[in-house]
Amino acid sequence: MRTGRFSSLLITLALVLASLIAVFPIYLAIINSFKTQGEMFASFTALPTSLRLDNYTEAFARLSMMSSLANSITVSVLGIGGILLCASLAGYKLSRTPGRLSQFIFYLFVASMMVPFHSIMIPLTRMAKELNVQGSIYGLSLIYIGLGVNMAIFLYHGFVKGVPRELEESAHIDGCNEWQTYFRIIFPLLLPITVTIAILDFLWIWNDFLLPLLMLTNADSYTLIISTNKLFGEYNTEWSLVLAALVLTAIPVVLIFMFFQRYIMAGITEGAVKG
Amino acid sequence: MAAKSYKRLLSLAAFVMPAFILYTLFLLVPTIGGMYYSFTDWNGLNRAYEFIGFANFVEALREDPDFVHSLWFTLKYVMFMLVLQNVFALLLALFIETKFRSKGLFRTVLFMPNMISTIISAFMWTFVFSQVLPQLGERAGLGFLNQSWLGDPGTSFYSILIVSLWNGVGYMMIIYLAALQGVPQSLREAAVIDGARPWQVLRHVTLPMITHAITICLFLTLNGAFKVFEVVYGLTGGGPGRSTQVITLNIYEEAFSNNFRYGYASAKSVILFLVILIFTFIQISITKRREVEA
Repeated sequence: MRTGRFSSLLITLALVLASLIAVFPIYLAIINSFKTQGEMFASFTALPTSLRLDNYTEAFARLSMMSSLANSITVSVLGIGGILLCASLAGYKLSRTPGRLSQFIFYLFVASMMVPFHSIMIPLTRMAKELNVQGSIYGLSLIYIGLGVNMAIFLYHGFVKGVPRELEESAHIDGCNEWQTYFRIIFPLLLPITVTIAILDFLWIWNDFLLPLLMLTNADSYTLIISTNKLFGEYNTEWSLVLAALVLTAIPVVLIFMFFQRYIMAGITEGAVKG
Repeated sequence: MAAKSYKRLLSLAAFVMPAFILYTLFLLVPTIGGMYYSFTDWNGLNRAYEFIGFANFVEALREDPDFVHSLWFTLKYVMFMLVLQNVFALLLALFIETKFRSKGLFRTVLFMPNMISTIISAFMWTFVFSQVLPQLGERAGLGFLNQSWLGDPGTSFYSILIVSLWNGVGYMMIIYLAALQGVPQSLREAAVIDGARPWQVLRHVTLPMITHAITICLFLTLNGAFKVFEVVYGLTGGGPGRSTQVITLNIYEEAFSNNFRYGYASAKSVILFLVILIFTFIQISITKRREVEA
């Protein structure tokens, strides 16, 4: 659209202002995380006089950063891996099987996408207790698979429709059985939608708060978000320490964002348009 | 023939089973269970429970002022979010579209807050609201900055909004940007040649071409806003008192930190589910009617 020079300037100003607001709290968290408590209260907006890492080393220890980070990674990898495997199998087969039964199962999955997590959290907590998966990160991963397959199946189901059937038929003639056909021919072809699903699920699982809050009961199994929450509750007056913890928790996602920006944005659009 | 269809069923079962088992255990059964429990007086202290009909629903809507307040408070929040989140996101997307060289930079910076977990965002903003703004207000003599952002029920509503928008606008902006890229440049140029002013191009060409994205973003905002939890939990915890308590927080408190009345809390969560369904249905039926094909 062609715009006048004056309105173009106004638009730039508005964008710069919005960008400042977007960066403002992150910037404040970062600069203050390097200060001592005294230095901080003298002025929150001044730059730190030196790059003091004490807050970070202390937050690192208090968060049991290494084990929390390992837990977050484990849950994400197992959860996403499980969702991709289970949902691609089911979505492919449901898409290729005509008939009422497969249609019914598909709609059962799709309808459940509307159920808010808060409507199931109480019975889910009980179910986790009964199955003895509460308190373990492996149990948590299983729950993520159970909660995440519906959307993934929906996306795979739509994508498979665009994959020509001739490929399977010729693989069958060449002597592949169903599983070989799936793993050697079909699954590699699903890569674009697999990437989309993996990204959406990573952002969901990595940043999720309420489910791990309900499921993880002992400190050994805390994810990064849950340890940060505990730390915030216990030391909420020691801001310099808390801020270091917040920055540490945010760093992995921001790094991943920097590297995979293009895919993340494409994934969001695709997931939203199809979902 | 029968053998073939049996074989086909078996292969369907084999492929679908892993997903279906986990889905049933952790989503389907809890969904049905929640609805069932909402008609009982089950609580966490006693294993035995009885069927009590609609008593929980009547109690929640008639005798529980905290819950009714949380319903209205959430509704108010949803309405503000519905308008503000989409207006800001659409405006930013339109603005970014007019830029060439700085497009990528603005898009990255404005989208970044969305990457940070909502609860972490709420903690960062707690720092800003409780420490930084009061100090800035005092030093710079800007009185309006130096107020109880999180301690006053009226003001904290806006603090909750600010953080939600900060966190959420980027996501919607990306969807609008993608939709804007799909609007053929030739259509806009034709309108300009016909003498349309920028506002008229927006109103009669661009907006009608992206109604699909508007429908999606309204749907996503509506759904997300009714389920708001982390922002309020992190900023005010529902306080002072229960003045900023949203529905989800009320349910959470009822089930896990107050008196463990699981049956009663389930009834509240069924109410939340129904409210979301009704509003979504209304929204979709209104916006779908306005969509046009390119």
